[in-house]
Amino acid sequence: MAGSGKAHMRPEGDRVLVVEDLTVEFRISRDKIVKAVSGVSLDLVRGETLAVVGESGCGKSTLGKAVLQIPKPTSGSVNFLGKELTELKGDTLRDMRPAMQMIFQDPISSLDPRLTVSETLAEPLRVWNKGTETEIQAKIDELLVNVNLDPSVVRDRRSYEFSGGQCQRISIARALALEPTMIICDEPVSALDVSVQAQILNLLQDMKDRYGLTLIFISHDLAVVKAVSTRVMVMYLGKVCEVADPDSVYQRTRHHYTKALVGSVPIPDPTRKPTGNLIQGEPPSPMNPPSGCRFRTRCAAASEQCAAEEPQLREVAPGHFVACHHPIEV
Amino acid sequence: MSETISTANSADTGPLAPAAKKRRPVGFYLAGSWLGTIVFVGLFGALLPLRQWDLANYDYLGALPGTPGHPLGTTQDGYDMLSGLINGARISIFVSFFAVLFGGGIGALIGITSAYFRGKYDLIVVSIFNIMLSIPNLVLSLALLSTLAYSSPDKPATLQRRLIILILSLTIVIIPILGRIARASALQWSSRDFVVASKSMGTRNFTIIRKHILPNVAPAILAIGFLAIGSVIIVEGSLSILGIGVPGGASWGSMLANGRGNIAFSPHEVYMPAICIALTVISSNWFGDYVRSRLDLREAKI
Amino acid sequence: MTNLLEIEDLSVGFRTPRGNLQAVRNATLTLAPGESIGIVGESGSGKTVLSRAVMGLLPSTATRTGSIVYQGREISDLPRDEVRDLWGTGMAMIFQDPMTALNPTRRIGSQLSESLVVRLKMDKGAARQKSVELLRRVRIPDPEGMLRKFPYQLSGGMRQRIMIAIAVSCGPELLFADEPTTALDVTVQAQVLELLDELRAENNTAMILVTHDLGVVAGHTDKIAVMYAGDVVEYAPTKTLYASMKMPYTEALLNSIPRLETPTGSRLPVIEGRLPDPTKEVAGCAFADRCPYVSDKCRAEKPPLMDAGNGHLYRCWFPIGGGK
Repeated sequence: MAGSGKAHMRPEGDRVLVVEDLTVEFRISRDKIVKAVSGVSLDLVRGETLAVVGESGCGKSTLGKAVLQIPKPTSGSVNFLGKELTELKGDTLRDMRPAMQMIFQDPISSLDPRLTVSETLAEPLRVWNKGTETEIQAKIDELLVNVNLDPSVVRDRRSYEFSGGQCQRISIARALALEPTMIICDEPVSALDVSVQAQILNLLQDMKDRYGLTLIFISHDLAVVKAVSTRVMVMYLGKVCEVADPDSVYQRTRHHYTKALVGSVPIPDPTRKPTGNLIQGEPPSPMNPPSGCRFRTRCAAASEQCAAEEPQLREVAPGHFVACHHPIEV
Repeated sequence: MSETISTANSADTGPLAPAAKKRRPVGFYLAGSWLGTIVFVGLFGALLPLRQWDLANYDYLGALPGTPGHPLGTTQDGYDMLSGLINGARISIFVSFFAVLFGGGIGALIGITSAYFRGKYDLIVVSIFNIMLSIPNLVLSLALLSTLAYSSPDKPATLQRRLIILILSLTIVIIPILGRIARASALQWSSRDFVVASKSMGTRNFTIIRKHILPNVAPAILAIGFLAIGSVIIVEGSLSILGIGVPGGASWGSMLANGRGNIAFSPHEVYMPAICIALTVISSNWFGDYVRSRLDLREAKI
Repeated sequence: MTNLLEIEDLSVGFRTPRGNLQAVRNATLTLAPGESIGIVGESGSGKTVLSRAVMGLLPSTATRTGSIVYQGREISDLPRDEVRDLWGTGMAMIFQDPMTALNPTRRIGSQLSESLVVRLKMDKGAARQKSVELLRRVRIPDPEGMLRKFPYQLSGGMRQRIMIAIAVSCGPELLFADEPTTALDVTVQAQVLELLDELRAENNTAMILVTHDLGVVAGHTDKIAVMYAGDVVEYAPTKTLYASMKMPYTEALLNSIPRLETPTGSRLPVIEGRLPDPTKEVAGCAFADRCPYVSDKCRAEKPPLMDAGNGHLYRCWFPIGGGK
């Protein structure tokens, strides 16, 4: 499984972001290191939505934050719009920030409860001196209208007076304030009700079309990801398992973990029997991942090779890459 | 355009109105009036038409409360109790307020920056705080006072010098207390997503601390600050009883110290300053608790 | 066959500074022994309040009317301690956040044996043995070692399994599961749900499953009650509900769920608008402002519960597929 490799990179595309061999490790005590992300590579072509899918502990959130250098990754390269972010410091790194923004999972904690909505949205504009005070206020109104909020009603309220969906809209408005090129969406709908989820997902699509954004969409929910993404990357325990377009990932699944993931999604239809053979057990600790393929301890198809050798991503069909010694036959 | 607005109206019309205001509890008025009175007499006491507190009236030695001209009685040495208490209020408030203000300010600064930046700086700060906190308040202030207050054996320290050193010592004692509270609170707030959002939009670190962390940490510090005032008053009283705090009956603790020996003949010399100390500490503690519970309520919504 | 649980006209209101907040209105449900019912709704629908009302866990600011009959006994007006006696052996609960249900300062073993010792009056040795058996049954690796661990050492999925073990330890007839898998990863969710089904089948335990996820109830319940703004708006056997739903709300809810079959890049159908203000009583149907099929009658008159046959009840003047 989880392996490294760059077979899935597309050097010929108009790439906004190129991440190579990114590793993020946290030392929690003298002999314990959490290997959250291990040697992950990915690239983002302008205009696409790359979904990074996996369960908790797979490193997807850490990956997103590491791309933004909050905090800087342990090793690896992050090349955004032609500049190597890992080598930039201080003001030169800061200058790149407006082009890369983030929205978060918990709608309430993404907003400072002491600030009003207009103060929240004014912050990015003031930090970068985007015009006079009147111009800034006009821009705030425009941003709110874009996310379907009535400025006259919400401007002077604080985050705790809003519902989860509304808070998320405000966060999206804030992320759009600086007209970024790329937005990293870290589980933006996981904390929302089903009906609100759909509203926010549609909103993200609309904003993407209107502003020509490129998105990284991090999620643990495959079905959500299917609706919004153009490319899917499945992660497990800090490594990449499978990369392909959404249809291929679901209909022509090659990796055993992806298959288990697809099979676990509850189907709102009682006549459909579940696909069966759920994987057993729990993911191993990221402090002590298995040797070779990290998924082998829960994989029915594991062999000795899987313990000895870490599989690398390789192309099994046009545009479809898998890191597995024994991928599923289709 | 109007279509968007109308969608906005139906999709996300105004949020729910905030809950109606609760009536303030009785304690608020009680504690508030006591503290208000203390502060008032502390500030303006000198202007009141009362006997000077350190002027002895030899006609009335050890007079009981209710004596004409001395509503609260006098000490065995003839000093008017009421004037003494008012003057004591001034000193006690002065000392405790400034000690907590400076101690809290410095402690908060260190604690917040420590929590925000982490790393080696944080480790050092935490170690220093822990060392200071492991020493009981009284012992620490005793040590500081004894070393700093007396410049030379033959030149006795003036009241001013002793007061300044007293405030300094108490400030140093308060720094780790409020600093630790500030750090704990700042740690929580620094890990919130909106801080990451601010960093990702390029806001400078000190701006983030000033605009986002500090306003959210301030209520916790404020709440504990009130408790600290009470604590400081007691420490000051204890030091004065031991003889190294404020000398000569100028503070409540000092009055207690002087009156100790006369408790059989004029108990009012002892219980009156004690009551003042107790009421002030209780009121101050009550306020601190009230502030904390109001803020907890608000944070429960977050 | 008598029903295990019969809820009739259950209403719950809360006294708030802004007036009365009616959280549940006239809910009527039944549950046979061994049967499982899903109570589905979004936040603010009243589903949690309803389940808490049945469990007897409402705060003092709540006013409750209506009848709750459990095993033939009216329990709605029982004093707290008598209701408590029912818990453990008769009824058991699992909650969304296992960390708050498990005592973080006590070892797993002691928490497991507590209910065995107190309720089933087992002695310590027998309780310990039974605990190990229970842990094995919920597929915890190394059950003996687990007895000595503390909750903080475990993952969410493990803790949830332990909660389930505690819940079924005294062989209850009725299990309340309040969003038991919402906080779990999808693979662990699937395992936990499968485990619940197995345990229930073994002991013929009935279950009330409260959730917002229409996918979860589809595979694990015999009947479903859909709630909106405090009302039970549709109530039917599971297969019937999905096959021929009558409520536009249920249909809209189902449609807004993203699915694996959804073509990439499609816009999801959305239910416009928001929940009505719970403190204001609405004359007509609560869903009227958001319903794509709304008409004047809907706004004027609140539809009563109507029967479509086969135990399918709904509240709509213009149901999908025509009335009755």
